[in-house]
Amino acid sequence: MARDGVVLEVAAVSKSFGALAALTDVSLAVREGEVFSVIGPNGAGKSTLFNVVSGLHAPSRGRVSFRGREIGGLAPEAINRLGVAKTFQITNVFPEISVGENVRVAAQSRSADSGRLASLWRRPDVEVRVDELLDAFGLAARRDALAENLSHGEQRYLEICLALATEPSLLLLDEPTAGMTPGETKGATQLIRHVARARGLTLLLIEHDMSVVMGISDRIAVLHFGEKIAEGTPEAIRNDPKVIEAYLGGGED
Amino acid sequence: MSRVLTWRALLTLAALAALPAVPGLPRYYLLLAFDALLFGAIAMSLDLLMGYTGLVSFGHAAFYGLGAYATAILMERGVLSLWACLGFSVLVVGAYALVVSYFATARRGIYFALLTLIFAEVVYTFFRYTQTFGGSDGIQGLPDAELWRGVPIDTPERKYYLVLAYLALAYATCRVVVTSHFGRVLVAIRENEDRARFLGYSVQRYKMAVCLISALLTGLAGAIYPIRSAFATPDLMVWTESGEFIISVMIGGLGTLVGPIIGGVFFTILRDKVSSYVDWYFIVIGVVLIVIVLFMPKGLLGFRRLLGFKQWRATA
Repeated sequence: MARDGVVLEVAAVSKSFGALAALTDVSLAVREGEVFSVIGPNGAGKSTLFNVVSGLHAPSRGRVSFRGREIGGLAPEAINRLGVAKTFQITNVFPEISVGENVRVAAQSRSADSGRLASLWRRPDVEVRVDELLDAFGLAARRDALAENLSHGEQRYLEICLALATEPSLLLLDEPTAGMTPGETKGATQLIRHVARARGLTLLLIEHDMSVVMGISDRIAVLHFGEKIAEGTPEAIRNDPKVIEAYLGGGED
Repeated sequence: MSRVLTWRALLTLAALAALPAVPGLPRYYLLLAFDALLFGAIAMSLDLLMGYTGLVSFGHAAFYGLGAYATAILMERGVLSLWACLGFSVLVVGAYALVVSYFATARRGIYFALLTLIFAEVVYTFFRYTQTFGGSDGIQGLPDAELWRGVPIDTPERKYYLVLAYLALAYATCRVVVTSHFGRVLVAIRENEDRARFLGYSVQRYKMAVCLISALLTGLAGAIYPIRSAFATPDLMVWTESGEFIISVMIGGLGTLVGPIIGGVFFTILRDKVSSYVDWYFIVIGVVLIVIVLFMPKGLLGFRRLLGFKQWRATA
């Protein structure tokens, strides 16, 4: 177990694509049970950071460890099996199958047979977990609808259901309220917080929307041009002159 | 009832089993039925890839042809046991399929279709120009295989029941696979391969596994073909043969299993009927295919639904 209840540690990670340095020497430590947010203007490297943590990209330099285990450079499926799940900024579900089937296929990923020969004929019973998730996100009535026929807001929730169905202990949320109306955003933010608490999840959140971040985060890190320029509580970030200059660009939130 | 043993499946099997009892049926029709059901079963096996996983194989003729050569090579050397032939085919096709599926699934998109095609052409060329295996003539004039000692598979009836048993086994296998944990993952891969990875699935392993299953079922179809025809030739694995499998799947309806069986049967009978009148039968088949693609993009099974029949489609 890692020190001080640290779940995810990103240590001096850099990532460059050719000559472009997307991340430079970024370090952060996410503690058990907290909501940690990463904010920054467009192009700040937030998504790259997520892609490095979730396994889409290997870090060019530095280390990423999850519960004391090095995960930098592992494949996405391997990282997911260790208990890290990710939602996508652009909705990324299975469009032409039903909502129920979407969640089922995600949920059975953690069944004992998964990846074994017996999975060729057995059909694991994951209905209880599927029901729980659909109920929690208000999708129970839409169970038999094709995922592509859901409203935008419903698809955002399905996106989170898929990630949660793999029973992660760390959930990476990439702008979970992207494209939602302000009203929907408020409801979604509360729901995410509630579900995370109930499941004892640690959340790492990327957000654009300051109101979302300020409301639910325990700590916030700010990226600017691929470098971390600040880290602290929402209150400290709100008053940090460097952040105001780089990101808020004018003194008020 | 269960995932496999439905009344519909049992009734269909019973009806097919009664075919030889039809009074006055020319024996030739039993052999045509053999070809039709064999073709249908291959199309169904290919549907595991095309309809469920979203992979288009242009090289299934190689699995089919290798299975046929495996049987023919044994029988030419006096090994007449059906079981030995099937076992040898499984070994040969399985070994080849492992290699092909590993390379073909290593990259995404069009590479799967290209690599399966290229590997199949290599196999075709090998048999076409290797005189040990008869070159372009293949292996001809094989004796009758034996179910066991003293029971030859010689009459059209016996050959027909052999293909029927194979079809039943292949259908049961496919049904179990598509309704399993594994089958759900295949559909997820078809729908969104990246997302499947982020849910913890090693996509390449799943793709390789389904390729292997599909290849083995197709190889078994190949293994029993020389038992009906008494030959195996390189023509069995020309790439156009792979194309005809693909067409049958599309005619019948992707992702339905039963649809491709019907598609394969339809294709075989159409080819037989049309080619007995005109040499350019493929033009007729081409027109039929265009009509189907334009007016019933879900295939013959999908067309049933348009006409108001109850949904038959077996979703995974």
